[in-house]
Amino acid sequence: MFISGIGIVFTRGRGVDSFEKALKEGWREPSWTGLIPAYRVSQETLTDASLTKKIRRADKFTRMALFSAFDAYVNSGIITENNERLGIILSTAFGPHSTTFSFIDDMLDYGYANASPTKFSNSVHNAAASYVSSVLGSRGPTVTLAQFSFPFQNALALADIWLNEGRCEHVLCGCVDELNAVMEYACKMKLKTAGDGKIRPFIFSSSPLSVPGEGGAFFMLSKEKCENNYGEVTGISFSGKTNGKPDITVIDSDGMTGDETLYRETADSTVAGYSPLFGSMLIGSAFNFAAASLMLKNQVAYNCPVPDNPSGIKVCGSDFSAGINKINCVRICRSEKTAVIKIIK
Amino acid sequence: MKIVISGIGAVSAAGINLAENLDSLKNGKRNAGPVSIFSSGLSYPVFEVKSLPEKWKNAGMRTLSLALAAVEEALNDAGLQTLLSGFKAGVYLGTTVASQLNDIEFYDSFRKSGSADLKPVDRYLKGNLAEAVSHLVKASGPAVTVVNACSSGTDAVGIAVSFLKSGICDIAIAGGADELNRVPFCGFGSLGILSNSLCAPFDRNRTGLNLGEGAGILVLEREDFYIGRGKKPLLYLSGYGSAADAYHLTAPRPDGKGLESAVRSALSDSGISPEDVCFINAHGTGTIDNDKAEGSVLYRVFGENIRFFSTKGYTGHTLGAAGGIEAAYTAAALKEGWIPASAGFACKDDEIPISPVTENTDVKGSFALSTSLAFGGNNSAIVIERA
Repeated sequence: MFISGIGIVFTRGRGVDSFEKALKEGWREPSWTGLIPAYRVSQETLTDASLTKKIRRADKFTRMALFSAFDAYVNSGIITENNERLGIILSTAFGPHSTTFSFIDDMLDYGYANASPTKFSNSVHNAAASYVSSVLGSRGPTVTLAQFSFPFQNALALADIWLNEGRCEHVLCGCVDELNAVMEYACKMKLKTAGDGKIRPFIFSSSPLSVPGEGGAFFMLSKEKCENNYGEVTGISFSGKTNGKPDITVIDSDGMTGDETLYRETADSTVAGYSPLFGSMLIGSAFNFAAASLMLKNQVAYNCPVPDNPSGIKVCGSDFSAGINKINCVRICRSEKTAVIKIIK
Repeated sequence: MKIVISGIGAVSAAGINLAENLDSLKNGKRNAGPVSIFSSGLSYPVFEVKSLPEKWKNAGMRTLSLALAAVEEALNDAGLQTLLSGFKAGVYLGTTVASQLNDIEFYDSFRKSGSADLKPVDRYLKGNLAEAVSHLVKASGPAVTVVNACSSGTDAVGIAVSFLKSGICDIAIAGGADELNRVPFCGFGSLGILSNSLCAPFDRNRTGLNLGEGAGILVLEREDFYIGRGKKPLLYLSGYGSAADAYHLTAPRPDGKGLESAVRSALSDSGISPEDVCFINAHGTGTIDNDKAEGSVLYRVFGENIRFFSTKGYTGHTLGAAGGIEAAYTAAALKEGWIPASAGFACKDDEIPISPVTENTDVKGSFALSTSLAFGGNNSAIVIERA
């Protein structure tokens, strides 16, 4: 399965170029406007009349999904008139919960019989994927998944299967999650927040610190190698086995899934982690996967934005001079299960 | 590689196990009434599960409770222990309610005071349906929760088949579960598609749907693995198709092209033709738009003599559970050789070219189809085969 296009919406803007720019520029402080420091996506980033004229009622979650999916589609250069065999897989941890709460506001404020039907329809988890399908005119299978463990890895595995089965020629596959006041409150109460706003992926702590984020990251995935190619996914393993040493291992440690000590065991090659650029998210793997894809395509080992490294592992940076041919992306959930995505040039 | 249906479990207002469900279908029992598990002030009838066994009652996690009851039944039916730790097993479940943090008291407290008891958040985080079931049965493979609105259960079954065929797992627990909940109850009410009376799928005078709750679970196994367990296959899950309308957030595409594409894809996946299908368990919600679009597609693909029915008149619309429950019914009906009367149907709608069966009917044949249409324009279909 080949990576033909990337679309990103995150705290520093929209598009793969914005993401690459962030990888080059390094860490920036999160915003401090809410209960906790967080990497929020601005309203300005989510304004695009050419895309939203068809979906004026779409909420923030849908806009992040649509913009990142649409950009991945355009970035691939695979624009066909007939999208019957374009599949869509959207995975999320929490879904469009701001709209759910807005619907509950209606129930509480106006009575159970007087809530807004528009809000209700937009609160359904698969509304965002439906909007993507409508805007792109894609008529292939369209699925939304909701996971706390491995949301991106399961979506990617399904995309790979659909392509191998011949069910689709291309699959737009990605993840979206949003922040709001309720989620920030839950994060504040249930997670340890980094007071200085810095996620430190290489501390490997049993009680790591987080800085929540939000955004969307989508990938156009193709059975055949396309003109625009970021790399090839050669395996997605849920057993934790890596089968061979990669040039670089990108890890998802970001303070969101508890004990991170096991990540230390993955550090037998050069290690990278880019969560300090986009924030702690259960869907953070999708953003690290985007970073890995760009590393393969551009043959650049981007400096890790927060390289604090007390255990002396080899952290990815400008001193990495070898060719980048093979990257493993590793996620460990609750110190129990490990998933590895293997990508090659 | 063929995929065997080795176990079936079902819980709904029609019964707390598959046998009770089939008995209700056979005898035309429609156990609907006012909602009793929460207050809402709305008077639409619902199909509520009244007698869930005590052992499965997890406080505040009703969807998980319903799922576990059906999972246990399906695993027992498959001749498997309720722990799958020794196998390459995956869990693929559809839901709507269990994926949402929609506890009204929690949210009301937060918006009034900026703080709230976090127990509902803990329950939500522990209650991701596939992850929770996977954890409880100690499945080592993928846990995938499908949230495709009303087609979630059907899509979860289809996705499980794909994962099995890929070799990622040998066994899959697949289907869907959903509870009656105030938020979708008010939501469907706000959309104006809940009926004040018992639903009447495909009937000329239909006035909307009734919500229900329940779970429908299939245990699916790779045929080589199943035969290796010393078993002889009786049923197969032989095809899955899915297609998007790319049309509207809540209304089905009037020409039904998305559904037609999903149905034809499922038939193709099974390697069969429309004439090989001996009956269809239709989505048939009882809404004006759904039944009109679906009836037209079934006529267009299968012709005027196709036998079909909807079981929403026995269970209500169980949302994310519907595809799972209807897959369970379809498999059982194909195995037993009969289909139930389509409850609620009395008068032919001139805008729907075909009508559902009005009495219990014996069927002979090897293949049956179950369809699902969903919010967001998702359309899905599965084909079940008798060995």
